[in-house]
Parts: sequence; structure tokens; C-alpha cells
Amino acid sequence: MLLATVIFLPLAGALVAALLPAGEPQQHRGWALFVSAATFAVSLGLWAGFDASMAAPEFQFEVNLPWVPSAGIGFHVGLDGVALLLVMLTTALTPVVILSAFTVGERVKEFMISLLVLETAMIGTFAALDLVLFYVFWEAILVPMYLLIGVWGSVNRLYATVKFFLYTFAASVLMLVAILYVFAHDGGSFDYLTARQSLQVTPGAQTALFLAFALAFAVKVPMFPLHTWLPDAHTEAPTAGSVILAGVLLKMGTFGFFRYALPLFPDAALAWRPVIAALAVVGIVYGALMCLVQQDMKRLVAYSSVSHLGFVMLGLMALTAEGLTGGVYQMLNHGISTGALFLLVGMLYERRHTRLISAYGGVAKQVPWIATAFVVVTLSSIGLPGTNGFVGEFLILSGTWLGRMPGTQVAAAIAATGVILGAVYMLWLVERVFYGKIGDEENRHLPDLSLREAFVIAPMIALIVVMGLVPQPFLAPARPAVERLVTRMQEADRRLRARDPARPPSVGTQPPAVAQLPGAAPGRALAALPPAGEGR
Amino acid sequence: MPTVSAHDLLALAPVAILALGGIALLLTEVFLTSGRRGYQAGLTVAFAVAAGAAALSAGNLGPVFGGQATADGFAAFVTATVCGGLALAALVGASWLGARDAERGEFYALALFATSGMSLLAMATDLLVAFIAIEVMSLSIYALAAFMRRGRKPAEAAFKYFILGAFSSALLLYGTSLVYGATGTGGRAGSTLLADVARGAGSPLLVAGLALILAGLAFKVGAVPFHVWTPDVYEGAPTPVTAFMAAGVKAAAFALLARVMMAAYAGTAGTADGLFLQLLATLALLTMLVGNLFAVPQRSVKRMLAYSSIAHAGYLLLAVLAAGQPALRADALSALLFYLASYTVAAIGAFAVLGAVEDRGAGPGAEPPGACDLDRLAGLSRRRPLLAFSMTVFMLSLAGVPPTAGFVAKLLVFKSAIAAGSWGLAVAGILTSALGAYYYLRVVVFMYMRPAAEGEPEGLFSPLLSVALVIAVVAVVVLGIGPEPLSGFARAAAAMVR
Repeated sequence: MLLATVIFLPLAGALVAALLPAGEPQQHRGWALFVSAATFAVSLGLWAGFDASMAAPEFQFEVNLPWVPSAGIGFHVGLDGVALLLVMLTTALTPVVILSAFTVGERVKEFMISLLVLETAMIGTFAALDLVLFYVFWEAILVPMYLLIGVWGSVNRLYATVKFFLYTFAASVLMLVAILYVFAHDGGSFDYLTARQSLQVTPGAQTALFLAFALAFAVKVPMFPLHTWLPDAHTEAPTAGSVILAGVLLKMGTFGFFRYALPLFPDAALAWRPVIAALAVVGIVYGALMCLVQQDMKRLVAYSSVSHLGFVMLGLMALTAEGLTGGVYQMLNHGISTGALFLLVGMLYERRHTRLISAYGGVAKQVPWIATAFVVVTLSSIGLPGTNGFVGEFLILSGTWLGRMPGTQVAAAIAATGVILGAVYMLWLVERVFYGKIGDEENRHLPDLSLREAFVIAPMIALIVVMGLVPQPFLAPARPAVERLVTRMQEADRRLRARDPARPPSVGTQPPAVAQLPGAAPGRALAALPPAGEGR
Repeated sequence: MPTVSAHDLLALAPVAILALGGIALLLTEVFLTSGRRGYQAGLTVAFAVAAGAAALSAGNLGPVFGGQATADGFAAFVTATVCGGLALAALVGASWLGARDAERGEFYALALFATSGMSLLAMATDLLVAFIAIEVMSLSIYALAAFMRRGRKPAEAAFKYFILGAFSSALLLYGTSLVYGATGTGGRAGSTLLADVARGAGSPLLVAGLALILAGLAFKVGAVPFHVWTPDVYEGAPTPVTAFMAAGVKAAAFALLARVMMAAYAGTAGTADGLFLQLLATLALLTMLVGNLFAVPQRSVKRMLAYSSIAHAGYLLLAVLAAGQPALRADALSALLFYLASYTVAAIGAFAVLGAVEDRGAGPGAEPPGACDLDRLAGLSRRRPLLAFSMTVFMLSLAGVPPTAGFVAKLLVFKSAIAAGSWGLAVAGILTSALGAYYYLRVVVFMYMRPAAEGEPEGLFSPLLSVALVIAVVAVVVLGIGPEPLSGFARAAAAMVR
């Protein structure tokens, strides 16, 4: 029940907040912060209680109750390591976001309620183990997010919020049809575990199902060319909305691939993998190039998300233990570093009321602490060794390089240019905003970090450093889930190869070149592979 | 002529209660013209609740009146739904009419008569009984549509509705007579009982008869291409009447449509049922497409809701289509029932909010052209936060966004459609419903994200309206979060249908 508590605590808090008087914003701020902090405290129990060994059950903290038994829908939740990490990311990020949103002065009550409802929906999405329950949480995200952008956003908010809603809603409804189709062909169950085990469909139907799921997830990620809602939504959203959007919502898409699209439809996934990987690579480069020409800081960070999420998708599509682990790690990194970037941009915006890069310049002298934090976050974002970003990008690129997907090394090589471009656009941004001469007189009188803002940004910086230097505690929980997925995909690959002997193996790590030398003992070479490699 | 037993009369109790209620209200209007008519809405609600309770408590009485009607769980559920719709519409009507000094006992009496026709229609298993029930329902609604007779729009709407309604009744009757003739080819000759319809499988006469019946019913539910009256009538009729019409007429007509469908499919697989299925599938596809597409450009929220009601008829047709297959019948019928119930609360709620904010103009019959324009809702969240919140809940439910009743309803309907193998229609339905999200959300955009025009009045305040809205909002949310009681009940009710 610990998990159910974590899921529904924010919602309960929102219900209480609905009863508090709207005229006292201070009460709402305090209450929302308290509720989200309490949720984080409870979720630490999940972190402590999670057993990351391979022998432990795949899903822990399971709750399985009937919800709508007459329609076969259950309230089935549980966490594997990846879901655990993302739930922790959500519960950790929400109090920070709420604290950062203390500056929102309009309709504070509704704002805080929206954030708390959003938190429940996000945690529920990661925890759901029933397809309909997952869909319910997945769609429940839309309404509070839609309100956050549409009510508290900036000038073009209406266009951005309607675009956001329609894009994601239209892409998700086909997933609902696919879920219903799965129900009709897995013996009449919406349960994820049952569906994964006993889904029986023709290859054509599996392709259609995979594409329906993939479309919903690809829009959320967002993958090129379905990303166009993102820059608008990010730019127009209030700071809190941008942070949640970048920090957690985009991960729902990549998580969806990891949890649903790949394991449920492995054959179709293997067939479409090169396409998705190619789109991921295009997204990496395209996102980075777009960053170079942006005038607007928020838009720049938004496009950098397209690029970074491309890395995550590439890591997932590599289907090697390293690539998947890197992808999962990069989800966390992106949540923290891009979330922090949006927080810092928001702080600058509150001081100067513009997001235009050209309006700044040389402000590092006025706001040294913001500048310091910004540089640290930038270094994390571009993957400097010693920060969390390095660990993720390195694992993804090496995992892709060593993978067995056709053309994987080309993909890795092109993706690597994204790392370089990333350094270019981020450092150039820092230079234009913080260094050089002060161009505008207004920039001479900017206050530095307030105590509240320091409390907002400090945890993010701490996580960046800790996750960069000691990644193991954060990698360990993901390991069983990653290995299970690799094994599952290998089985599918083997099945396909049994049908078509000419087909080369495409999942898992390439044996190192030395292993192919004549005379090298195959057993030893295979033993050197990671446990999830083809040799197992 | 079969004898009438106490058993038969018990089954008829809901119909009788509603009809007696109508008579009682007519009499109070004659003898108690004190000017204070607040009790009338209360009486109507009481009769509606009593009839609904009678229908639910009667249980499964099976065929009555020699098989001309049946008091099964399906009929009880539909009766309870239309009675619930009546109660909500009466509460809305009281505040709406009160604000216009137009409250009269006839309004409630007509609504009660219409509901008694609906509940009889829900039970009918004989095409002639169904015809009588439809006429009782329709004649009352024609009069209700003309209730605010001084305006230009109500008069036009009522006249249009009457002419086209009469035409559709004629189609229905003609179809019935053809079916009557066709039943002679096998089994009992000359019967309008639905149970005998199947016996004429394959005869061209039966095919033609069923097609005509389908066309007549398509008029009543507003299915494309028999929908053209819907927007004008819905827009012109008094808002509470529109609400009642959208929910009640649809529920009752769909009950009969489902029974006809099952009867047509019960025969040997031949041309009759095959063609009927194809016709129905085409209707469903067109209805979903046209309803949603035409709702998009509407400026008047009332007209938008009219097109949306057409679209919802399309989704309901999917469930009817799936009900044809005996193995899926319980699933499909329970989906149909749940959808009807959830649409009833959400649609009446939406019309109630609209009724509260629409422009009353200078006096009776002087409604300005833009009375229900989207602009009327601009900034509503600041002026009337609770009203805006209720409307948002209804819009989300109509759009099918979780966690609302509308989502569960759509889920159940599409689930049965996919189980029946018509996944193409399900895909079309779900894509058009994504289109629906656009125009429903536009209402929310206006309420929450646009500033109010200067000097915009605050709209109607009425305790009765608040009660109706609270009930509707709670129903939509509770059915969305914990649908099991109702969906389990709908399933049990659907399982009784044979």
C-alpha cells in the first residue's frame, strides 16, 4: 500500500486544498509544498525498500485490486527499477517546482491544485500495471498541464496549449484502440503481465499495435518529426509547467517505449527499430542545430530537449545493456539538468521579463550565483565528465556503438556530433547571457539568488554532482529491468532467426573484435560480456 | 386477445406513475393557480424518482402482455436513465423558466407524458406498441419545443421538428407494415412482434421493412443522413427542453433500435441481417464523421452541442452494431446502457450551464441572435468559478477524457466494437473523438483563458440549478473514478435480455 499512498497523497492534498479559501495564497503555497514534500518523504520508503537484485520479483510494491471487474479492469500497480527511478524523479522534482512557483501571484489555489493533481497522474503513469489504468493516468496528465499552460502561460499561451492538448490527445487515442485490441486477443485481460505473456496476434496486427503505441509515445518524447508542439508548449508555459514538462512528462514517452512498446510487441519493434533509431539520430542533430539559431532562451532549452531525448531513444533502440541503462540514466539526467535550466531561465525572466538572449549579456557580475549555477547545469547538460550527463551519454554512445543493429556504428558516430553541437550551443548561450559587456542598462540592477531560489536550485546542483561522481546507486535499480528487457528482445530475435536462418542476430552486444580472432576461446570471450549479452 | 394480469400491470407501473404524474400536474395548474409554482418542479422530480424506483425494484418480470412488451433489466435501466434525465431537466427547467416568467404546469406535464412514452418504448417488443410509445413521446416533445412560442426560433424549431418527426413516424409505420407482411413466410403469419421478425429472414419485404424502420429511428436519434433537423431544433427549443430531448429521446430510441437489431440478427444469417448490419455500420460511420466535423466551426455552443449529440449517436450505433452478435450481446448492451447514462448526465449538465449563461434579451420572444455564443462564456471562471468548473467537467466527459464517465463509456463501447471485429469503425470513432476534443476544449479555453467582455451579466442564480449541477458533476466524476457499481449493474441488466 506504500505505493498507493505515494500515488494518491498529492491528489488527497489537492482535494483538501480545494476546501481552503482562495483568498489566502500563502496558505495554498505552504500546503502544496508540505504535501509534495510529504509525498517525497513517503517515496523514500520505496527507494529504501526496493530490492535491486536479479532474484527479486520484477515488480515490487505491487497492489492488485479489482477496479471495474465487469469490464476486466484492475487497479494493478507496481514498480520495476526504471519506474522506481522515474517515480523518485517525480516526487523529488515536484516540491522543487512548487517552491519555485511561489512567485505565481494569480489564481494560486488553482495553480497549486493543478500541480498536485499532475503529480498523482505522473506517478500513476509510471506505476500502472494495467493497460487501462495506465491510459487513464496518461490522459489525466493532459488536463492539469493544459490549464497550467493556458491559464498561467505567456502571450501565445492559447495557441500553445491547444496545440499541446490536441497533439498528444490525438496521438494517444489510437493507443486506446490498440489496448482494446490487445484485450480482445490476450484472453480478455487488461493486465500488463497477462498481455505481455499471452498476446496472440498476427504479425500484421502486431505491427499496427506497435505503431499505435509508438505514435502515442513518440509524440510525447517528442521524436522528430512529431516534436513541433514542444517548443511552443515549453516557451509559453510558466516556469513550473516547463520544468514538469521537461523533467517528467517527456520521460513518459521514453518510459512507454521501454515498458510497453518494446516488450509487448517485440517482433514489430525489432522490425521498426532502424526507423526509430534513424529518427532519433535526426532528432539529435536537428534539435542541436535548431538550438544554434534560437533567439529565445526557453525555446533554445526546448530544442535541446529534442536533442537530448533523441539520445535516450537511441540508447533504448540499441537494445544493449549499456545503451538501455544509459537511456534510463539519461532520462533522469535530462529531468534534472533541463529542469534546472528552465528554473534558472525562469529566475532570469522574473528579473528582466524577457526571454530574449539579446536582452542579456554580462549579467554574471550582477548575479554571480545564478551564473555559477547556470554554468554547472550547462556542464551537466553537455555531458562534462564528473557530471551526471557524462555517464548517460557515454553509456548510450558506447552501447550503440557495440550494438548489433544494422548501421549502429553510423548512428553512434552521427549522434556523437550532437554532443559537440550541444557543447557549442550551450556554452554560446552562457557566453551571450552571462559574459561580455553589459549592453542594457537595465541589466545593472538585477538581484542575485534569493534564499528561496537557493533552496530551489541547490538540490538540483547536488544531484548533478552526486549522480556524476557516484552513479552506481542510481544505475543499480534499473539493472534487473534492463536485463529482463534485453533477454526478452533476444528471445524474440532468436524466434525470428529460427524462422529466417539468414537473419543475423540484432539484439545485445557485439562480441569484442578480439573474440573473433582465430584461436580465441569463445567461452572466455563470451564470459567477458555483460551478463545480459548474447552469450548468456 | 390475451388477458391482462396483475403481473402485466406491475410491469407497467413506471409508465403509469409518469402518466398519472402528468395528469396530476395538469390538474394542479387548473386548481392551484396561485402564481407560486415552485412546487411543480418538486412534484415532477418526485414522480420521476418514483417511476425510476418502480422500474428498478420490479426486477426481471420477463415478457408481459403476451410478448408485446418486456420488463427486463434493460428496460428498467433505460427507464431509470430517462427518469433521471427528467428529474435533472425539471430542476434546470424550473430555474430557466422561472427567470423568464414562463413557468407553467403544462411544461412539467408534457415532460412527464414524454417520459412515460420513453419508458414504454424501452419495454416495447412489438413494433406497434413501440409506434404508440414513440408517438406519445414525440407529440409531447413537439409541444415542449414550442413552449416559448413567442420567439421566432422556437416556432420554427417546433414546426420543423413536427413536420420531420411526422414524416419519420410514417416511415416507421410503413416499415412496420412491410415487416408484418414479411413474417408470413415462416412461422406465425401476420405479426409485428419483434420475436417473429427473425422468421422472415431473407425476404426482400423484410429487408425493405427493416430499412424503413431503421430510417425512422435514425430520425429520432439524429443519425446522419437523417440528422438535418437536429441543429435547428436543438438551437431553437428552450434549453431545458433541448437537454431533455438530447438525453431522453436518444436513450429511448436506442433501446428500441437495439431490440430491433437483435431481432433482425437472431434469424438465419441471410440477406436481411447482413444488409441491416451494413446499413447500420454506414450510418454509424457517417454519423460520427459528420457530427464531429460540423461541430467544429460552430460559434453557438448550443448548436455545437447539437452536433455533438449527433456524434454521440454515432458512438452509440457502434454498440448497437456489436449487440448483433449473440456472444457479445451482454458486453455491447451494457456498454450502450452505460453510455446512455453517462451521456444523459453530462449533456443535461452542459445544457444547464448554457441555460444559466445564455442571453435572455429584452423580454419573452426577444432572444438575441448570439444568445448562446461562445463569447457568453468568456471569463466565466472568474465570474462564476463553480459554473465554469462544472462545464469543464461536462466537456471533458463528452470529449471522453479520463477520469470522467464519458471516458469509461467510450472505453466500453469501443471495447465491444473491437470484440465484434469492427475495429475499422472503432478507429474511425476514436479519431473523430479526438476531433471532438478540439471543440469541447474551446469552451474551456473561453471560460478559463479569455477575459470577460465588459459589463457581462453574471447569469442565472438558482438553488434548483445548483442542485442539478452538483448531482450531474458528482455523477460524472464518480462514474469516471468508480464505474463498477453502474457498469456491473448495466451488465446484469443486459444479461437479462434474450
